[in-house]
Amino acid sequence: MPQQKMKRVKTTITVNGETREVEIEVPDIEAQWGDPSNMRWLGKRIPRVDGADKVTGRAKYTYDIQLPGMLYAKILRSPYPHARIRSIDASQAERLPGVKAVITDLTREVNYVGEEVAAVAAVSEQIARDALKLIKVEYEPLPFVVSPETAREPSAPRVTPQGNVRGGNPRERGDVDSAFSRSDVVVHEATYSVPPRSHCCLEPHGLVCQWQGDKLVAWASTQGIFSVRDELAGALNIPASNVRVICEHMGGGFGSKFGARAEGVICARLAKMAGAPVKLMLEREEEQLATGYGPGVTAKVKIAATRDGQLIAWESETYGTGGVWGEASVPLPYIYPVPNVRTRHFDISTNIGASAALRAPGHPQASFVMESAMDDLAHRLGMDPLEFRMKNDPNPVRQAEYRLGAERIGWQRRNRTPGAGSGVVRRGIGMASAVWGGGGGAGSRPTVRIGPDGSVEVRLGTQDLGTGTRTYVAAIVAEELGLDIKQVKALIGDTDYGYSGASGGSTTTASVAPAVKMAAMGAKERLLATVSQHLQVNPADLVLADGQVTVRGGSARTLTWKQACALLGKEGIEVQGEWNPNLQGSGVAGCQFAEVEVDTETGKVRVVRIVAIQDCGQVMNRLAVESQIYGGVIQGLAMALHEQRLYDEQTGRMLNPNLEEYKLPGSLDMPDIEAIVYDNPTGKVSGMGEPPVIPTAAAIGNAVFNAIGKRIHSLPITPAKVLEALGKV
Amino acid sequence: MDDERDKKPQDTPEEVDASRRTFLRNLGVSAALAGLLSSGAILEERRAKRAEAETLQAPPAGAAELRGTVRITLNVNGKSHTLEVEPRVTLLDALRDGLGLTGTKRVCDRGSCGACTVLLDGKPVYSCSVLAVDAQGKRIETVEALAQGGQLHPLQQAFVEHDALMCGFCTPGFIMSLKALLDRVPQPTEKQVREACAGNICRCGTYNRIFEAALDASRRMRRG
Amino acid sequence: MKSFVYHQPKTVADAVRLLSQRDTMAIAGGQDLLGAMKDGLFEPGHVVNLKSLPGLREIRETSSGLQIGALVTLTEIAEHPVIRRDYTALAEAAESVATPQIRNVGTIGGNLCQRPRCWYFRDPHVHCLKKGGDQCYAARGDNRYHAIISPGPCYIVHPSDCAPALLAFGARVTIASAKGTRTVALKDFFQMPDKNLKGENILQAGEIITQITVPKPPAGTRSTYVKVREKDSFDWALVAAAVVLQIQGGVCRRASVVLGGVAPIPYESAEAAKSLVGKTVNVQTAAAAGSAAVAKATPLEMNAYKVPMAEAVVKRAVLAAAGVTG
Repeated sequence: MPQQKMKRVKTTITVNGETREVEIEVPDIEAQWGDPSNMRWLGKRIPRVDGADKVTGRAKYTYDIQLPGMLYAKILRSPYPHARIRSIDASQAERLPGVKAVITDLTREVNYVGEEVAAVAAVSEQIARDALKLIKVEYEPLPFVVSPETAREPSAPRVTPQGNVRGGNPRERGDVDSAFSRSDVVVHEATYSVPPRSHCCLEPHGLVCQWQGDKLVAWASTQGIFSVRDELAGALNIPASNVRVICEHMGGGFGSKFGARAEGVICARLAKMAGAPVKLMLEREEEQLATGYGPGVTAKVKIAATRDGQLIAWESETYGTGGVWGEASVPLPYIYPVPNVRTRHFDISTNIGASAALRAPGHPQASFVMESAMDDLAHRLGMDPLEFRMKNDPNPVRQAEYRLGAERIGWQRRNRTPGAGSGVVRRGIGMASAVWGGGGGAGSRPTVRIGPDGSVEVRLGTQDLGTGTRTYVAAIVAEELGLDIKQVKALIGDTDYGYSGASGGSTTTASVAPAVKMAAMGAKERLLATVSQHLQVNPADLVLADGQVTVRGGSARTLTWKQACALLGKEGIEVQGEWNPNLQGSGVAGCQFAEVEVDTETGKVRVVRIVAIQDCGQVMNRLAVESQIYGGVIQGLAMALHEQRLYDEQTGRMLNPNLEEYKLPGSLDMPDIEAIVYDNPTGKVSGMGEPPVIPTAAAIGNAVFNAIGKRIHSLPITPAKVLEALGKV
Repeated sequence: MDDERDKKPQDTPEEVDASRRTFLRNLGVSAALAGLLSSGAILEERRAKRAEAETLQAPPAGAAELRGTVRITLNVNGKSHTLEVEPRVTLLDALRDGLGLTGTKRVCDRGSCGACTVLLDGKPVYSCSVLAVDAQGKRIETVEALAQGGQLHPLQQAFVEHDALMCGFCTPGFIMSLKALLDRVPQPTEKQVREACAGNICRCGTYNRIFEAALDASRRMRRG
Repeated sequence: MKSFVYHQPKTVADAVRLLSQRDTMAIAGGQDLLGAMKDGLFEPGHVVNLKSLPGLREIRETSSGLQIGALVTLTEIAEHPVIRRDYTALAEAAESVATPQIRNVGTIGGNLCQRPRCWYFRDPHVHCLKKGGDQCYAARGDNRYHAIISPGPCYIVHPSDCAPALLAFGARVTIASAKGTRTVALKDFFQMPDKNLKGENILQAGEIITQITVPKPPAGTRSTYVKVREKDSFDWALVAAAVVLQIQGGVCRRASVVLGGVAPIPYESAEAAKSLVGKTVNVQTAAAAGSAAVAKATPLEMNAYKVPMAEAVVKRAVLAAAGVTG
């Protein structure tokens, strides 16, 4: 490669769902995605390349891996929210026929119901379960607290030696007190809250581990094969080069499946002890108890705007719990700039296990708090809530999206006065906005290989969470080389391929796509150089399209793809690509409008229609982007009306560690959804898995307010809360 | 339930019981298949329990009681398979771990999510909530049976084209629920489609596209 | 799930004999029991398969009404043309149960005998009153889904959808035991927790339901089942009501109103029924029936919302049964 010009760029990196901004140096190479209207694949609707495998059951997920002699592992978990372990006697379990390995050294003190205590591997799942029942654990139950409200009380049991309340340092800008006391402002105060929610990945967390001498092969259901590799290597004290992690297909992560986690290390240890491959997939109850959750938040808010609707001041005190040490902060104020701000956030320690990133960590919560307050303040101001937002939102993309959304939902049909309708069933319309970074980061090392037989392969150690990574990886290469997507084999999900980061924070596409594009460009350049020598023409005059190489300017000399590749010699071409910041951008904008019906006698809310508009810069696969919007909206609807993790203060146990009382909406609960990809011709690709989940719950809450004229201050909006707000209880 | 009695499956337990030759043949098929599919654990479990099995080996059908490990025959996707299970083994686990048919997914294992949906005599059921021994003598259809000769079933084709799947873990269950619907109601309304898959949960959020795909598949199937 | 011996009786006599033994449970569709066994809530050493019993899978029409075998599935009830026409509330109730997959396997007998969904009861690590412990955790805990009408000391709600409908039609159940069979009115089948804390009905060890008999409704009978749940795809009733009315000349001659989701048993409101008899069904009389139905409600800390909800559900069911638009 020639000497490269470098440039410094700011980029976001995401580690375990925590996104932060860093400045890095990268090669400055001219590269453009080009005009989407001239493209065959990119920006079009591409059915996913692994679709046929998934609809036939051929796709092998981690859960589906079966190896000769494979054992099944199960974990014994604490039934107590807080306890000291006096003794563990596993002798009976060890003697049970079929049991091959037992681990009892995991911990001496448990801090939540579901914490790992012991584990076994046996020849069948049933025997492994039977063995768990034979392990005798003597617990000394200790005082516990599971509710953040109770944990804040001075009399509450101390979860950490330092107490239960962390943080609380005020963050301040401007002159908040004088802004609130101005005579020309309208002030609104209220408390809003969002409960903790579970990820409910349909494929549970888990692995299959197989040792080959001192080398470990692990199939893992994960968002980051390389982070699983590094964590396993670290925990087992072996070189990372001795660990290979594979994730061909995975059944959902939503932020909960980054590192190796406890079950990963247990699985690898059991496999080593037993001298046999071990499968350890968590059961649904374990998923609910021990794989994290998106924390809830309670926000006491004071917000002010001038009488003509200019936001001027914000003050909020928030708290939430992420378990013993976890954080539950939310970005407030959200989206709309406020000049005078004071916020204080407290993290409360409780015995509920550690939180995990959950699709746009903190943002849907912040959205519900901010957008509810915005609507309530607009109401006090006597302003149209959309007009109020348009006045306070400097983002030009969202300004355009607001107009489009208002038209698509029929904003003029809303109640001018909230609750103004009549009859038992009231209709209402509301809206809310979304923001997200979605920029990429350096590090991905894809390889594009063109064989002399014309075969094309692209290899990269990224993973497809169902977001469609594999499909756009293939599409980018097909586009660049002028091929049918079927001619490109995309190999991902294996640490034997080139490095790529974990998939989180909507950073995957903006990280992976530019690197794949650069690899494909490099491969194309090399191929055309060979062809140009053969045809004795300038490489710049060659055109690679529709499976052939033609010469610009009407020359009759044309090579088919196969003929061109045959010129490459036995070794073919193999080109590695690197991330190019010129191909990615960050900062995506969206907004959603919801129409609801509220039954004022039963309190039940039915979402009739959602219009969701989202930009993501240069679109890779329109079909997949739309799917992400649908998915975000549906998860947002679940958050609005149904989802909440419930803990019992008497026992410290989760009341709904299942998929029955932890309520997820189904087919009969689905509204009409219009997913609109806002074409924002930036020429830069951005991720957008997260943004469409952000505003849905707030938009639905605002629609309910518009329908009945009463604010439901906490999610989910259940019939009980609606009836109470209506004064019927 | 009438049709259940009318359609006598090829390998009812009675026949297995009656013919030792058939019995052995089926066992052979099963062992070969199990080896092929690397269901080592099942085989080893069998070895671990050999002593018990030998003394308690009761023929499954017509027997007053099933105890320990019992030999059963399942008619799956038109083929009969013999395997050894304890009475507590669910149909789901027998399909996945015993026969290597991993297209049927385990998600909640409590009859709440639909990922394990298979058809039993044409009707969708949660295979996690049916005992394998009770599925004998019934026609069992799993997602693996739908594509014929490399050709996707119209429902599968429509799922792919409409992107009615993301992570894909719920997909086989939805497809089986909707396949049962289309077999019974070739021209369903959207309401019927929604009702047919009301026992299936998708976490990625593909419902609306699943409705589109099912209606599209119905049109394709009627066109032939 | 603990390992068990699986019994396959060929006669009811064999089944009840087996079931009178210790450590034994009956299974039909298994849609409730298998999950509870996986959770370790029940760990029977012996399970008796009722599905192998002959003669319990038919729906028979007789001159005096319907005979429904205990093994008839919920799908068969929901789709049965006569039930849909003449016993509409029952068909609607069966159709509202859980999901298509569960209705295809779950039986009517099992639907009547299913155990409560109370999350304290269902948690094998919580030793609640109903399981022989010394306190009802729901009384002081999270009781949002619990009873608003209960004599105590337990506050479960009965989860059956079909029971309120059958009760409203005056159904009877046939119970088989080693001593033979007996028939009791469904209203005498269910028991409040002050009478029977550990169970919800009169069945003793060694007894099973074999048949449900529903008397033929008099001419002019109309019925419906209305169920409110937090979500429409697979959810338990917050409140439900089965209403059966006999209307002649525009006047309600007979009425039965039975609520689900409000009490430890399907709750028949004689007050609501009485308020309708002799009246023309309209929005006012329907609302009065709703108010009468909840007159005795004493909600717990978190479930007061069920009171206005039950009023509305009864009102709607009465109007819908009568074919009056509200």
